Amino acid sequence: MVSSLGRFIIAVFKDLVGVVSLFLDILYWIFIGPFKGKTVHRESVVHQMSFIGIRSFLIVFFVTIFTGIVLAMQTSYQLGKMGATIYVASLVAVSLCRELSPVLTALVVAGRAGSAIAAELGTMKVSEQIEALDTMAINPVRFLAAPRFIALFFMLPCLTIVGNISGMIGGFIVGAGSLHINPDLYIQTTFKYLALKDIYTGLTKSFVFAVIIALIGCYEGLNTSGGAEGVGKATTQSVVISFILIILSDCALTAVFYFSNV
Amino acid sequence: MKNCDSPDREAVISLRHVSKSFQGRKVIDDVSFDIYCGDIFVIMGCSGSGKSTLLRLMTGAIKLDEGQVIIKGKDISRASSGEIDEVKKSFGMLFQYSALLDSLSVEENVALPLKEHTKLAEDIIRIIVNMKLSLVGLRGFEEYYPSQISGGMRKRVGLARAIALDPDIVFYDEPTSGLDPVVGGVIDKLIKDLSEKLIITSVVVTHDMQSVFKIADRVVMIHKGRVIETGTIEDIKNSRDPYVRQFISGSHTGPINFFKEDLGVL
Repeated sequence: MVSSLGRFIIAVFKDLVGVVSLFLDILYWIFIGPFKGKTVHRESVVHQMSFIGIRSFLIVFFVTIFTGIVLAMQTSYQLGKMGATIYVASLVAVSLCRELSPVLTALVVAGRAGSAIAAELGTMKVSEQIEALDTMAINPVRFLAAPRFIALFFMLPCLTIVGNISGMIGGFIVGAGSLHINPDLYIQTTFKYLALKDIYTGLTKSFVFAVIIALIGCYEGLNTSGGAEGVGKATTQSVVISFILIILSDCALTAVFYFSNV
Repeated sequence: MKNCDSPDREAVISLRHVSKSFQGRKVIDDVSFDIYCGDIFVIMGCSGSGKSTLLRLMTGAIKLDEGQVIIKGKDISRASSGEIDEVKKSFGMLFQYSALLDSLSVEENVALPLKEHTKLAEDIIRIIVNMKLSLVGLRGFEEYYPSQISGGMRKRVGLARAIALDPDIVFYDEPTSGLDPVVGGVIDKLIKDLSEKLIITSVVVTHDMQSVFKIADRVVMIHKGRVIETGTIEDIKNSRDPYVRQFISGSHTGPINFFKEDLGVL
């Protein structure tokens, strides 16, 4: 019992060291590599941006618009009792921007792009493609991990903004359609209570989530072993670990913002 | 042009007392040999004898525990990563399953080392890639992806990629395994041609005896991580060593006994 717990702690510690050193390695290739004549490929970043960002657009749009609709319906049920139905608008906007849109978008992207990164790099690992790159003196972190990291870092906040807007559209549909709030009044109330800090705290979170998804996906992929089964395991692991870390870091960041009155 | 004809040819690759263990099990045990310029040097042995590990120790893919691997005068076990990268640029490797990047076309795969390590213009790179693909008889397949071509063709693309930077040394990991005898023969001929025409030192890991007899200049036989016999192909043919004799004849009885050694529990 004690020894298995010890083994578990050692394994977690080893993974932690691995993830941190991968992070430092990626930062090295992004910021110091170019001065040594080794840049991260621009085409590869653009390709990843299109895969991670543009192709996740629709799913993020649908997930958040329906969340906005549900949120408006559920809160109007409560607020209606107090005759404060009009505040549905601000409640939907603030809770989406501060919390729901960054988290839901991150979870969707972790499930879609994070898993794809782990599966692709994992397959490359077990089919000797990573070793081939290394033998050709092409650093796999620079060639594979860094473009995915950069793409996620910039695309996840963009998708979060898409989520903010589509979620508010969802709320608007319910507010103006079913709750019979004057559309102009709904829009006015939305922006009256939505402060800039609500948006940037949400976006700050999404930058952190992007780092988590990219690092976990790349780490699991690059450390895959054991053939097809190993690739499956790495893919599942990447999603599970990303989900847990996203929720954990969301809690931690919310606490930081809460106690520092941001 | 590289000159390998001087009488006292120097060793391009030297292994000195190399050992490697995995999880406490010794896979390579005190192996030493020299590989000379322009030779086709074959490392042969049964599956699991440690020959692929030996190859990976030479390419720097895995780190050795003890000893030295000296490639072109540089001890890669003690070199910095920058120095190792420089050595890596001077050799190519053909992997057992080709290890072409799935996301790149045939042309892009062969062009990859050129794009990464040279400052050549796009059109010059295209000319070189076409030249390399002609060498392996694959002109006209530039736009295909690795999943769209046969195993033998993938091996040839892998070979074109391995020689893209005009290396002095090419490592081959089981070049003929999984191929029909005719395509295997084609690969053997390519290895021989490249070695002779481009004066490339070739290190081939294989257990395909037909291929060994066709291409090898010098051979080392590995069993359980140790050197059993080393010499020219004639030495191996005439060897009286029971391990070598059994390996060449392919007999299931002899000193190499899988049933006694590995399946003792049965």
